[in-house]
Amino acid sequence: MSPEAKRTGNVDLAVNLAGIRMSNPVMTASGTSGYGPDFAEHVDLEKLGAFVTKAISPELRKGNPPPRTVETAAGMLNAIGLANLGLDRFVAEIVPFLQTVSTPIIVNVVGHSIEDYQTVCDRLDPIDCISGLELNVSCPNVADGLEFGTDAERLENLVASVRPLVKRATLIVKLSPNVTDIVQTAQAALRGGADVLSVINTLRGMAINADLRRPILANRCGGLSGPAIKPVALYCVDRVYTQVARDAQVPIIGMGGVYDWRDAAEFLLAGATAIAVGTALFVDPTIPMRICEGLATYLRERGLTSTRDLIGQLG
Amino acid sequence: MVRSLSVRYAFAVAKQSRAIRTATIVANEAVCREHLRITLRRPELPPSHPGQFVHISPEVSPPPEYPAAQGDSWHPGEEWSAIPHTPMLRRAFSVAGLRRGDDGIDIDVIYRVVGKATRWMASLRPGARVSILGPVGTGFPVNESKSTAWLVAGGVGLPPMLWFAQALHEARKKAIAFCGVQSADLLPLTLDADATPTNDASEATLSAEEFSQHETPTVISTDDGSLGYCGHIGAALSAYHQANPIDANEVVVYACGPEPMLEFVSHYCIERGMECYVCMERAMACGIGTCQSCVIPVVDDCDPQGWRYRLCCREGPVFPAEDVIWNQPAKR
Ligand SMILES: Cc1cc2nc3c(=O)[nH]c(=O)nc-3n(C[C@H](O)[C@H](O)[C@H](O)COP(=O)(O)OP(=O)(O)OC[C@H]3O[C@@H](n4cnc5c(N)ncnc54)[C@H](O)[C@@H]3O)c2cc1C
Ligand SMILES: Cc1cc2nc3c(=O)[nH]c(=O)nc-3n(C[C@H](O)[C@H](O)[C@H](O)COP(=O)(O)O)c2cc1C
Ligand code: FES
Repeated sequence: MSPEAKRTGNVDLAVNLAGIRMSNPVMTASGTSGYGPDFAEHVDLEKLGAFVTKAISPELRKGNPPPRTVETAAGMLNAIGLANLGLDRFVAEIVPFLQTVSTPIIVNVVGHSIEDYQTVCDRLDPIDCISGLELNVSCPNVADGLEFGTDAERLENLVASVRPLVKRATLIVKLSPNVTDIVQTAQAALRGGADVLSVINTLRGMAINADLRRPILANRCGGLSGPAIKPVALYCVDRVYTQVARDAQVPIIGMGGVYDWRDAAEFLLAGATAIAVGTALFVDPTIPMRICEGLATYLRERGLTSTRDLIGQLG
Repeated sequence: MVRSLSVRYAFAVAKQSRAIRTATIVANEAVCREHLRITLRRPELPPSHPGQFVHISPEVSPPPEYPAAQGDSWHPGEEWSAIPHTPMLRRAFSVAGLRRGDDGIDIDVIYRVVGKATRWMASLRPGARVSILGPVGTGFPVNESKSTAWLVAGGVGLPPMLWFAQALHEARKKAIAFCGVQSADLLPLTLDADATPTNDASEATLSAEEFSQHETPTVISTDDGSLGYCGHIGAALSAYHQANPIDANEVVVYACGPEPMLEFVSHYCIERGMECYVCMERAMACGIGTCQSCVIPVVDDCDPQGWRYRLCCREGPVFPAEDVIWNQPAKR
């Protein structure tokens, strides 16, 4: 390839996520870019492959007391406690804004019972501007105090109960890494009827202040994210892709510590169709656009023409 | 009573900045034990107000020509890495001063070295570059109809008051600064040898250069009595107030510092019918209102439980004292 073609040759970054047509494979990770309006003051949402909202539950949730976040080695812990403004206010105050955005919108859904998830999905599925519903299953069920996402049977049951209500939008299930074998829960999510798998949510962790002899987070423990978890996330994507998703032809959204185009390329190679940027947005909300530029150059330099040429192409 | 907080805040809220900017360090020097003053220079900056903060991290932006202009010689393997070695997340620092000069805009930050990020900042030399977001947040509101402002600062709550004293002076307000620290060597101020602070807090004197250049007299207190009034700054404030009575409708009190001190000053002012604002601190991640890290519980008469969380980074850090709930309510 001529040097000129390397610089300017057309590359097609677009991907199709089980019906969600994205102009590039880079989206935001839930909880790290708000509901949209605040984030849009800093970033042109139109340049994202997709925008993913903070979790929505049926009722308003105030969330955990502060401190809710703390930096750790190459990462951070968060215990926001799923603070959100609730379904009614989301529909009344945020949806009109989201309707003005042409980028695909994915709403992250959370609940403490199967009914909670059903309530949110049932209400949001008919809203045209919402392309996908992503179930955050890293949340304890009030009925037994156990997380939906850490047990295959419970997860399958949850996804299957929500599936009939999600008729128009793409149903995404976000897998928890806090399991013995993520392949089991990935299979369960697919049996329940998931269209797409998000891999991974945060890892459980804790930080302690030895001077005060106290946990740093008011919630005692939290979810670890950022570069520290990237190797775990890549491993999970590789496992889910090779053991489940490739044969089932179910796309994966890879996430966990993505900072630059190289991280993104690694996730695509491991089998992800799209990647989400979370913690890195706190450092610079425009990192997704940089990743797109870098990915385009990377593809060009290798004479590739499409993001799709990378997906799952590990030697 | 249903209050509209947003209306009360409106005049102090600046439009959030839309950009991450790179700033060059022009100075970074000790001002007292454990405190340094760092001066960051920028070609331009959006309009900013005292009380706002900058969110600082190591430089994260690749060079502007990235990646196209590097053309053939550029190899992805040699790419810039966005992962800063230390620290990762941004940290909030109040703007302690802002000057427009021929070479750009100089932003002063006074900081105390307490951990990873502030140690990194202390290691920076003139010429080094950092990334800043902001200034963001609400500024201190100025009440046009009141003649006097009392600025109450505890420890590392002092920096925003320096710039605010300048702004108040320019607005022709009478201001008095109350500065409390643990001991004299932790006071990040230049003392005037001729004007020593009184030790009974009965009088405010032009004893600290940083304030007296804006004609703002100071009352100084130390926990150990090594300078000025012996005791905490709340006690010094009430001693001064007793010696110098003032019509409650003439004065606005602004406080910044540790939370117990803010709580004391809030109660003191509310009991006496004095308008009061507090500048709060929280562990932050995004600084732009998207992550929900930095919550402050405030009174909300529309909420069934009577309170809700507001975001320190976006709806603060300055809050009306009577809104803040000092004993953190239980979960949810
Ligand atoms: C709006 C705002 C304005 C601020 N202005 C100033 C200022 O002008 N000068 C200044 O020195 N500091 C200021 N701070 C505090 C400053 O952000 C922290 O000192 C800094 O984040 C510490 O980072 P570190 O990595 O050095 O310490 P860390 O290793 O993160 O923490 C060291 C110690 O400081 C405590 N700490 C960490 N973050 C905060 C925080 N945000 N608030 C209170 N305690 C914290 C930790 O609990 C720990 O005990 C401000 C904070 C806010 C929110
Ligand atoms: C502050 C914060 C809040 C989060 N909130 C949610 C959430 O509401 N729902 C969800 O499914 N995941 C949430 N996550 C997890 C992220 O979406 C993402 O899966 C995880 O952080 C890993 O990606 P990262 O390393 O790029 O941040 C949150 C993460 C952070 C840091
Ligand atoms: S720091 Fe993220 S919302 Fe305030």
